[in-house]
Amino acid sequence: MSNLAIRAIGISKRFLIDRPRATNAMREFLEDVMRAPFRRFSSAIRYGTNNHSRRRSEDDKYVWALRNVSFEVKCGEVVGIIGSNGAGKSVLLKILSRITKPTEGYAEIYGKMGSMLEVGTGFHPELTGRENIYLGGTILGMRRAEVNRKFDAIVAFSEVEDFLDTPIKHYSSGMNVRLAFAIATHLEPEIMLLDEVLAVGDGAFKEKCLNKMKDVASEGRTVLFVSHDMKAIENLCDRAILLSKGRIVINDETRKVVSHYLSKDYE
Amino acid sequence: MATVKGTMKGIKFIGVDSSDCPTTIIRPTSRGILLNLRELWEYRDLLYLFAWRDIKVRYKQTIVGASWAVIQPFIAMVVLSVFFGKLARVPSEGISYPIFAYSALVPWTYFVNVLTQSSNSVVNNRAVITRVYFPRLIIPMTTVITGFLDFAITFVMLIGMMLFYGIVPTMALWALPLFIILAVATALGIGLWLAALNVRYRDVGFTLPFLTQIWLFATPIAYPSSLVPERWRAIYGLNPMAGVVEGFRWALLGKTHPPTMLLTFSIIVVIALLVGGLYFFRYKEDAFADVV
Repeated sequence: MSNLAIRAIGISKRFLIDRPRATNAMREFLEDVMRAPFRRFSSAIRYGTNNHSRRRSEDDKYVWALRNVSFEVKCGEVVGIIGSNGAGKSVLLKILSRITKPTEGYAEIYGKMGSMLEVGTGFHPELTGRENIYLGGTILGMRRAEVNRKFDAIVAFSEVEDFLDTPIKHYSSGMNVRLAFAIATHLEPEIMLLDEVLAVGDGAFKEKCLNKMKDVASEGRTVLFVSHDMKAIENLCDRAILLSKGRIVINDETRKVVSHYLSKDYE
Repeated sequence: MATVKGTMKGIKFIGVDSSDCPTTIIRPTSRGILLNLRELWEYRDLLYLFAWRDIKVRYKQTIVGASWAVIQPFIAMVVLSVFFGKLARVPSEGISYPIFAYSALVPWTYFVNVLTQSSNSVVNNRAVITRVYFPRLIIPMTTVITGFLDFAITFVMLIGMMLFYGIVPTMALWALPLFIILAVATALGIGLWLAALNVRYRDVGFTLPFLTQIWLFATPIAYPSSLVPERWRAIYGLNPMAGVVEGFRWALLGKTHPPTMLLTFSIIVVIALLVGGLYFFRYKEDAFADVV
């Protein structure tokens, strides 16, 4: 277990799908503010019982996006996460990257983690390509000095040299994607979480990204990779996890999992 | 979070964290509420970058650009001087009315700007919040820094006006930083509460414009606080901006009395607001990405 990268134990995530009725909003608001100082006591009362029901839960409707998901990822492994829409893939990455909290469960991350859940996170349309490299890089977890060092490599990879000083609101969507992906591939975390990042861009650039990701994988970086692109999954991943309706269906070597997914008999 | 130094192979870890000790632990809610100032410090580059972004973008696609910073308090000063100074003949402690009003409008404008922007900051940064992790406190804190740009511009104009009116500051000038800190703390203290509430209840956005308008009249900007009867002074001091504004006047123009009584109350109120705001924000931030 000394070379573990991620361990997830019983991760569950519940979402509220019905907004509380308008008449309750005011009461809820007052409760919210008044309770804040006493949260530590009241949470013990609310979560003290086993059924995790909050006091007003009778009025609300919930849906479980993830249910009791447990798995381990070793250092240097490239693991694909597949499943149809709404299976809980993206929520899982959001929980692991600490954007949202699980409702239940526990996870441990061993090492510096970076994530790219959307292409162009943090870009500002009024700023130039050059400025957005700094902005995007820092938001994805690079230090300023690190961006300085990698700046030329990022520009070369993105192929937008001629438009570096143009505000990116004038960029085509393809240029936007290339710039964003160029930044992401130059991140150097030990663990990398990627969500559907190859779904964009034209054929040639996609090929280039795929190759770059293969390099990254062969360097021994741990990668968790969500995609609908089975070719990319088979190409990159040592292992895959199939999710359906928030639960793990199968967690095995990529070839088996992909054929299981394509056969559709898990539903 | 201590960073782990690892080899590129990712198998052997060296440095502070042994591989048996996770760098990050994810669990349903933070145990207790910790402010985690160390983590905030580690993300200082991001704070700097957000501030830089907001300053760069602030006056894009405007004609007069950064002049907007001065236009707002300048027009307010003219209006107050005409209606309160000339027509209503409000006393101004022996200082000529325009500078009496403007010296108060400088911290007030900063306060209103930071309050408004920090209240909307979390909602405005929705795209980043739902896509990447960082300590959310950085977002409202950014507005405090970007507000200083406008503050600096209005302050330069204040210096110009002091030269024009031939006002030489007294030794009290040394107290000015205290009042600036107090203004920052007030704006951030309330901004944190409103930013966190705004995520869930957009009513905040509708409340803000008239909240600041009423607040303007509850603060000694158009009139001196000496107009307020002595027995109400303590309650009046519950408005921390009263202490800030009178403090500014005293430190810069030197003619009024030091607002000792107002200040004592203001400082207590501000500390309560700020500490409460920090904890309230931390308590709410776990759900930001789900609710915003």
